[in-house]
Amino acid sequence: MSEKDTYKNRIELLQGTLDMLILQTLQWGPQHGYGIVQALRLRSGDVLQVETGSLYPALHRLERQSWVQSEWKQSETKQRARYYKITAKGKKQLASDLGRWERIVEAIGSVMYVKPEESES
Amino acid sequence: MKGFPGFGFERRKRELQEEIEAHLQMAIADRVARGETAEAARQAAAREFGNVAIVQDVTRDMWGQAWLEQLGRDVRFALRQLRKSPGYSITAMAMLTVAICANSTVFSWIDGTMLRPIPGARETGDLVSLQRGERNFSPTPPFSYLDYRDLREQNHTFTGIIAYHNDWIALTGGAQPERAYIANVSANYFDVLGIKPALGRFFLAEEETRPDAVPNVVLGYSLWKNRYAADPAIVGKSIEIARHPVTVIGVAPEGFVGAAPGLRDDLWVTLDPLGNDVFRMTHREIVWLIVIGRLRPGVSRGLAAQDLDTQMRHIVATYPDQHLGDNQITLDPMWRSPFGANGYMAATLPILLAFAAVVLLLTCANVATLTLVRFVSRRRELAIRQSLGANRMQLVWQMVLEGAVLSIVAGTMALALTVWTSKTFAWFFPANSTPLALNGTMDYKVVIGIAVSSLVAGMLCSALPAWRSSHAPAIEVLKAESASVSGGSRNRKLLSGLVVAQIALSLPLLICSGLFLRTLRNLAAANPGFQQDHILTASVGLNIAGYSNDEARLIRHKILDRVSALPGVEVATLTDWIPMTLIQKRTDAYPEGYVPHPHESLLVENAEVGPRYFESLHIPILEGREFTQDDDQKTPDVIIVDQTAARRFWPGQDPLGKRLRVAGSLSTVVGVARISTHTFVNESPEPMVFISYFQHPGFETMVQVKTEGNPADLTPAVENAIHEIDARLPVFDVRPMRASTQMASIFAVMESTLAGMFALIGLVLAATGIYGVVTYRTQMRTHEIGIRMALGASRVDVLRLVLLQGLWLTGIGLALGLAFALGLTRFIAQLLYGIGANDPVTVVSVVMLLGAMSLLACYLPAHRAMRRNPVTAIREL
Repeated sequence: MSEKDTYKNRIELLQGTLDMLILQTLQWGPQHGYGIVQALRLRSGDVLQVETGSLYPALHRLERQSWVQSEWKQSETKQRARYYKITAKGKKQLASDLGRWERIVEAIGSVMYVKPEESES
Repeated sequence: MKGFPGFGFERRKRELQEEIEAHLQMAIADRVARGETAEAARQAAAREFGNVAIVQDVTRDMWGQAWLEQLGRDVRFALRQLRKSPGYSITAMAMLTVAICANSTVFSWIDGTMLRPIPGARETGDLVSLQRGERNFSPTPPFSYLDYRDLREQNHTFTGIIAYHNDWIALTGGAQPERAYIANVSANYFDVLGIKPALGRFFLAEEETRPDAVPNVVLGYSLWKNRYAADPAIVGKSIEIARHPVTVIGVAPEGFVGAAPGLRDDLWVTLDPLGNDVFRMTHREIVWLIVIGRLRPGVSRGLAAQDLDTQMRHIVATYPDQHLGDNQITLDPMWRSPFGANGYMAATLPILLAFAAVVLLLTCANVATLTLVRFVSRRRELAIRQSLGANRMQLVWQMVLEGAVLSIVAGTMALALTVWTSKTFAWFFPANSTPLALNGTMDYKVVIGIAVSSLVAGMLCSALPAWRSSHAPAIEVLKAESASVSGGSRNRKLLSGLVVAQIALSLPLLICSGLFLRTLRNLAAANPGFQQDHILTASVGLNIAGYSNDEARLIRHKILDRVSALPGVEVATLTDWIPMTLIQKRTDAYPEGYVPHPHESLLVENAEVGPRYFESLHIPILEGREFTQDDDQKTPDVIIVDQTAARRFWPGQDPLGKRLRVAGSLSTVVGVARISTHTFVNESPEPMVFISYFQHPGFETMVQVKTEGNPADLTPAVENAIHEIDARLPVFDVRPMRASTQMASIFAVMESTLAGMFALIGLVLAATGIYGVVTYRTQMRTHEIGIRMALGASRVDVLRLVLLQGLWLTGIGLALGLAFALGLTRFIAQLLYGIGANDPVTVVSVVMLLGAMSLLACYLPAHRAMRRNPVTAIREL
């Protein structure tokens, strides 16, 4: 329970991160909102459980910025749902988000994982 | 996702709903597939999804442009809420409409008269009117031509100074002779005022003093339209005025009616068009011009007054004999100019506006009371909304919006009404001989005024409940017991405060109205010092129709002989003035042998009257005699003075036989008349002298007839008698004197009518206010009353309980109101007659009236409470 809370906090703090996760999910193919939630959950081993109150605003914001495109389609279960698809602009944005994320992770890492005075050679 | 926010928004809302619905369906399907029951799956999926409404809200916020749709939704919601309580909404709107309309009507009257003194002129704020000498409420034209010209050419502070002189003239020629109001004007008249011709041109500089055989004339727009059928080729045509041909050189634009505020000029000529008025153009002691100047930009009135005064001093020093009396120059802004009809308006209209503002405040207090009561009964609904997530700001906003909707609708209706009511101002002016052009106007200023007052009203009405709702603690309200607390002690105090305010505001209104009504009655009953029933007056156009002085003299004698011989006529005489019609004539006068001090004012009122004038009006001659037919141009000048003049010129002596220098000649006093009213019954007495008509004929010829029976019955006979002498003589303004003297009381009528209306509104508002609040509070205390009765209180005790509550409020309100009234009535003191500003009879009767109405308003709910069954009362929560 507490793990989930920490992750949830992190996702809320770095709003750009949620966008990045959604875009990445959509790389694997067009998906609807429920599907994105499930996918993220599955991929992160039940750790990332995105709230609908964060997801849907994010999706609509991504669409407004033309990083995704939406379309009403029938799902496999004959359920009419709105599918989101990543656009070319979205792919570029994903790449830049990913680059930035990696840089941040490295920066934090170099702070957190400092080896005690040990030279390589 | 573009598109018109209105339609697109609905569509997107629907789609979002579908999207969320789909999400839930898929979640449920997955759970069912995993083995849960349909019901459990549905509940679990819903729980996991979260609050659908909030998700929708948050997502919609992402769409941007939300505020416009949000506003639309809020307004629609407010409308729904208002529709749910139609009684409240309609009452509040009706009250606000009436109050705003009252204000905008009076303001439109002020706008039409005082704020637009010269319609059509450019920048009237820079225009000032000049007075010379003793300042007067209704002065005679103060300047001579040469003095005006010197001032015009030698001043340093004006861009232009114009002069004009008004008279009646007859438009002869054509089928019907018509009387028109003409103005002799300086050549720069139209230019300085900033008027451009609608047709043709205006006067050139050299035309001002150039005499022409066929002079030029500029027509007024309505004259051109009505008499000359808007002839587009009128320029250059010849028409006839006073039996003399003139050429039309131009037509003034529509809406411009001359430079005298409130009066209507029909046509304009130069100062001496025929060249036969040489005397008054060359003699500095003949004053006949009214002068208006346009200040240079940046020059203040004080500076300009000093400049002109200095110039005038030089002139007076150079020509002392022609400038006896006071010569100090004073300037007035046009809206306050005493020349024209505005001087009277400036006293009355602002006071009426103040009354209307009080009515508006009262109405706001009343509507605020209603709104607060309604708010308190919606406490639960608001608390529930609060607990569902609405924040305080949203609730406050909702209250404010409801108030705004009410006041906007009220303002719009008031606007529509004012279009009609602004024109009712003219109803106050009875038919009379002055060419009044006074009426209210609806222009952008009035519209702005309405918008502002609606806004203020709306804010005042919704401020209290909005403020209260921002403090309402939701928890407390939802608790059951709180319903028995009469809406919270804070609300109770607010309600009481509002009722007290209403009573306090309506008391002064009622007192003022009572004072005005008494004044009107006193004025009507006052003795003016002369007998006005049984008098008929008729004006005959002699000089104005171009008859020469000799012709006119002959005709006058004939008229007098003929009319005296008519059956039903007791006395027939001539005069050039009718008392109490707001017209005064003045001239300089001083006794023989008296050396006037340099700046002493020598003005007295004067009139030219014929033989038996005083007899016709029942004014006793205290000493000496009346004029006779023998007092004509062949005999030495004689004069009759009134008591005030006698006291002024020869205090303590017998005036008979003394001589007075008047209008350039030395006249002997042959009679002293008793004092009588000249203009207003409550005026301070001014000396008046009467000149014999046959010695110095007045410019107006009026036949004054004392009849045996109803004066109106003799109208046709008098007209026929005059036409028998010369069929072409214009005869007009044939009226009983009573009709003419009504002019003197128009302001009293205006004040009492409007004050009365406003006071009535105030009374109704105050009474309904008290009734509403007491009813409401009694309702809130039903539970408590039931307990009291169960514990042994009798019905009378209950009655007393409720009554006391109401009477206590009334008492405080009356006390406060009295304090207000005593302070404020001083402002209307100058408009009263025969009654003091704090007249005890009026005050006491008003207090009793208001008290009685309050008692009644409290009694009804008290009576109802008294008759309630205690068992049901206890059960009520």
